[in-house]
Amino acid sequence: MPRSVRRPSALIAAAAAGTLLLAGCGSGGGSAAAGGDAAKPVEGGSLTYAVDTEPVSFDIHASSQDITGAIQRNVFDSLVRQDDKGEFHAWLAKTWEVAADLKSYTFHLRDDVKFTDGTVFDAEAVKVNFDRIVAKDTKSQYASSLIGPYTGTDVIDAHTVKVNFSEPFAPFLQAASTPYLGFYSPATIKENGPKLGSGGAVDIGTGPFVFSGYTKGQSAVFTKNPAYNWAPEGSAHQGAPYLDKLTVRFLSESSVRIGALNSGQVQVADAVPPADVKTLKADSRIQLITKATPGANYGLVLNTTQAPLNDPLVRKAVQRGIDVDTDIKSVYFGVYDRAWSPISPTTPYYDASLEKSWPYDQAQSNSLLDQAGWTTRDADGYRTKDGKRLTVEWPLMPAEYVRDQRDTLGTAIQADLKKIGVEITRPRLDIGTYIKKVYAGEEGIADYSWARFEPDVLRLYFNSASDPRKGGQNATFYKDADLDTWTDAGKATLDKAVRQDVYSKTQKKAIDLALFVPLYVRTAVAGAGTDVHGLRSDPNTWLNFYDTWLGK
Amino acid sequence: MTPGPLFRAVAKRLAGAVAVLLGAATVAFTALQLIPGDPVTVMLGPGTAATPEIKAQIRENYGLDQPVALQYLHYLGNLLQGDLGESYQLQRPVAGLIGDQLWPTVQLALAALALAVVLAVTAAVATAGRRPALRAVATLLELLTVSSPPYWIGILLLTAFSFQLRIFPVAGDQDLSALVLPAVTLALPLTGVLAQVLREGLEAALGQPFAVTARSRGLSVTAVRLKHALRHAAVPLVTLVGWLTGSLLGGAVLVETVFARPGIGALTLQGTTNKDMPLVIGVVLLSAFVFVLLSTLVDLLYTVIDPRLRTG
Repeated sequence: MPRSVRRPSALIAAAAAGTLLLAGCGSGGGSAAAGGDAAKPVEGGSLTYAVDTEPVSFDIHASSQDITGAIQRNVFDSLVRQDDKGEFHAWLAKTWEVAADLKSYTFHLRDDVKFTDGTVFDAEAVKVNFDRIVAKDTKSQYASSLIGPYTGTDVIDAHTVKVNFSEPFAPFLQAASTPYLGFYSPATIKENGPKLGSGGAVDIGTGPFVFSGYTKGQSAVFTKNPAYNWAPEGSAHQGAPYLDKLTVRFLSESSVRIGALNSGQVQVADAVPPADVKTLKADSRIQLITKATPGANYGLVLNTTQAPLNDPLVRKAVQRGIDVDTDIKSVYFGVYDRAWSPISPTTPYYDASLEKSWPYDQAQSNSLLDQAGWTTRDADGYRTKDGKRLTVEWPLMPAEYVRDQRDTLGTAIQADLKKIGVEITRPRLDIGTYIKKVYAGEEGIADYSWARFEPDVLRLYFNSASDPRKGGQNATFYKDADLDTWTDAGKATLDKAVRQDVYSKTQKKAIDLALFVPLYVRTAVAGAGTDVHGLRSDPNTWLNFYDTWLGK
Repeated sequence: MTPGPLFRAVAKRLAGAVAVLLGAATVAFTALQLIPGDPVTVMLGPGTAATPEIKAQIRENYGLDQPVALQYLHYLGNLLQGDLGESYQLQRPVAGLIGDQLWPTVQLALAALALAVVLAVTAAVATAGRRPALRAVATLLELLTVSSPPYWIGILLLTAFSFQLRIFPVAGDQDLSALVLPAVTLALPLTGVLAQVLREGLEAALGQPFAVTARSRGLSVTAVRLKHALRHAAVPLVTLVGWLTGSLLGGAVLVETVFARPGIGALTLQGTTNKDMPLVIGVVLLSAFVFVLLSTLVDLLYTVIDPRLRTG
């Protein structure tokens, strides 16, 4: 019995009535649309958008980079669109059904969609693309994990496909809404399959823009796709995009990006550092677009297989002995919120009851450590037990991998923990050694975040099957029957009540067991000139240029 | 028929150049082998969802599963056929990548070099052994430029001339106006070193008898400096060629990053960050080639500068 999913008849107005939530900056969830959109949109014009990273590979099926998805969103459409609330809407698929066992999804495709090389988008194109993602030669670093236990696609007729999985797979609709599961023209796959990473003219999709030029190290140029007439349900308009041309400039230096924005040389600048937010906020010629990143928050992942963190009392003491509020406020100028749960507030099924539930408490940390037997102190003030110092190693990655000044934050955390007699050592390792040691469970603490608009990231972080040696991210190495059962259950159902229940319990238990110390919720901040209208960020915090227009 | 001395000299030069290139390739290959950790893991970096199967596939595709000795021989074999291989990450032939990115960097390096030479000669000729106050100021400025990070100079120039005054565009290589600030940024530290070396050489040369002779023939002070002393002063510059090549390429990495220009510098940075072996070795070979080319040119110039080296 296939269970039919009704499409919510979402109205466009909600999306169009964007207001600037400048005050929402740093208050967690706020998303904002740029510009007062009351005026009638103007057609034409060319917009320059400065980003901080250049994609290594433009191949949406192979790349694991955030920036690849963000840029390629302009060129590639998806089967479905997901809104900020996590609801799904029609896009290239008009309707869809999910099998009761969640092992297959049937999509009824639009029949009026064309790739920009003139070929027709149909069931066969879906099959060719999904098969390419799991093909050995694609060497997919991310899309293959999104498509999960995929076993194949059946072409039912020209505009109907059935996508099959070896086990119940609830996160598929979310995966299918990302550009990583977008569609290349089968002709370009056939002709340029191995070369799709290099971008430019071979990069042919059905999206609102055409990838018309690429100068490595400098910029990528996209031009309007005039035939575009299949915008996702819930867009502010239908038909071709307003902009004639979108130029993406790669400006890795934040001061250069901000300077270029201030002097009007670019209209939109992404990745505004927290330090610059206050200044830009005060500038009447600049508007800010902010949104909290979805997915697993940045935090400390405590390795439970090694002394001293194998003792839950010590883990708890570490968790409660860090003054997260003060540290985050001072390092990020109040732009990023402190985190309370392993996942961010914008992620579906976030459990708000965790907020304020484990505040900074030095006294409690001290008594926990006393209970754990770390009662004596050495000359430097660190706690000892049986003549051994209470030391935890938390290695640093090479500088080029450190983002958001996480090394500075680490120094503050070190100082906090010293106050309760815990020594944190931070040797800087080269990346090969770092990965080898951390993912083999030889280090005390690891630190990372994982952006995805889907609570299934909890499985990635806390399910014992998510072994770091096999591409998983559970560097706690903890095996808990409940956590495994709950995160497996969440992956195998679309029942909202069940998902809410298991994901809530998972978030609480991960904190209770002190497997993880959430630190901050990353807020994506982009700046734009006031002549930019209708610019919004999607749930992944990527800017959507389809509805954007340039006015006065 | 015995080959002439000229032919022998050229053959010797060529053999030397090939040896340097092979040496550079070997050193680069060895250095990359010494990077700790599994090359594919390092290439993908932390936080990847790639499964062991995918890693194995990448390893197999690039022959990284073969013994190192075999990889080396295979690599050399390809090199001798002029094949630099394909970039692991960018999925494009390295030769093509370098070819595409070469011109912007050559433009930048030549512009910077020309600017540095003009500035250095001017500063040295104007201040060597005279005008103590001006000399002190020049020396101080040279020290400042030598010791300031080019990155910082670039940001300062951008802030002043692009963001505030809006004379030059922020970045890229659309036209010549976009070349000005990057070239100045790259030239300034070079200018400092060149000027100091030239000034010392000039001061030494001016102390020699020929300078007095020339003056007594009625030449002006500056003319003596430009026509005679500068030649002598230029000789030590030859030893600086290696340093100059390194500075230009190393500086290009920073300048191209700050100014978001395409070029070899940006390519190098990307290659080393991603441990993209074929790309890194390609860039190393290019640098070695440039070095060989420059030192050959300088040797030729040498004989022009210093007639005593011309043997019949």
